[in-house]
Amino acid sequence: MAEEFVFDPNKNYDDATMAQLQKMEKEIAENQKLISDRVSFDSLSEEYAKEDEIYRTKIQQDLKNRYKCVRKTRGDGNCFFRAFGFACLENLSNDKSQLQRFLEVAKQSKSELVSLGFPEFTIEDFHETFMDVLTKVENDCTLEELLETFNDQGLSDYIVVYLRLIVSGYLQKESDFYSSFLEGDRTMKEFCNQEVEPMGKESDHIHIIALTSSLGVPVRVEYLDRAGTSTCNHHDFPEDSTPVITLLYRPGHYDILYS
Amino acid sequence: MAGSALKRLMAEYKQMTLNPPEGIIAGPVNEENFFEWEALIMGPEGTCFEGGVFPARLTFPPDYPLGPPKMKFTCDLFHPNIYSDGRVCISILHAPGDDPMGYETSAERWSPVQSVEKILLSVVSMLAEPNDESAANVDAAKMWREERDKFEEIAEKHVKKSLGL
Repeated sequence: MAEEFVFDPNKNYDDATMAQLQKMEKEIAENQKLISDRVSFDSLSEEYAKEDEIYRTKIQQDLKNRYKCVRKTRGDGNCFFRAFGFACLENLSNDKSQLQRFLEVAKQSKSELVSLGFPEFTIEDFHETFMDVLTKVENDCTLEELLETFNDQGLSDYIVVYLRLIVSGYLQKESDFYSSFLEGDRTMKEFCNQEVEPMGKESDHIHIIALTSSLGVPVRVEYLDRAGTSTCNHHDFPEDSTPVITLLYRPGHYDILYS
Repeated sequence: MAGSALKRLMAEYKQMTLNPPEGIIAGPVNEENFFEWEALIMGPEGTCFEGGVFPARLTFPPDYPLGPPKMKFTCDLFHPNIYSDGRVCISILHAPGDDPMGYETSAERWSPVQSVEKILLSVVSMLAEPNDESAANVDAAKMWREERDKFEEIAEKHVKKSLGL
């Protein structure tokens, strides 16, 4: 039988819970880089037991035929943003005309956030870090350097924060349209404060639509789940676009796919 | 990222000095350490805390503003959302998911675009309108609900004490 719980009013249980959570996060951090090198699909199917036939079949007989390899991301609630961010910049480093357009959008985005009421001092450091990384790409940094940047916890998190702010800004600007997708009676501002802006909050379709639409970088998501089909379903964001990035979704997690 | 945290805290200090919100003074305890702030909060008008000047400490984590600071009153304050040791327990000091009190889903949460100013303004509202649904001090919540006179008496005592009377 478990030890009987005796409430000790002098003990700080919030701190104890937080310490335990932090320990778990640390363990995850030690086992998975924020963005991994490119790995084969075999290393992906190794994550599943032999009996897990649906997953193994879809990986070995579908994904492996259509894609070349995968980059894994750490499951910390920010994986969609980090995967998108990395794949997007990796792609832009090979497409200079798109890079110029993207730089303009990124530059503009800060004043748009300020005009929506974000105090400048709360957003400028994140914007600055984001622009610095874009400048690196513009100045032909190597793939290794980009990977290093995205695996530096501090820089990488600042990029994620800025992508979250872009989503928040877009949803608030377009709230007339997107409010109807919110459940419950939260306003768009409340939704963004609770589900978009805080680090570690997982992304839903609405986040993906907002990010891809506001940056003009369409994404294909392949769904690897327990659905009883032999191939993965996919969806393009925004709909009817020509995706330049492909992400792999497994329930609760996003990685990057390469063809 | 302690360098980024320091840069941000300096920007916030500047902001608080140039545009101080009403009834709030806050800044680093000393210029050597920007990660430890002292705040003075005036009890909001028209409440039982009116006239009081309550000192508090804010302690910032090295990855601020990714993570929120901790806040603790360093004076006696009997209030449903303040632990008996002075720690403040309101939703804006917690990211969603980090949820010791089970705050309602519409409550304002910590994110990197919040700020010291936003926290302190929330604390002023908390003094004016205690949230007895998620109490850190159960005795205070019970008294606030059932024996308001007695609660206000204690508050007045703490107001006087905060003024050194």
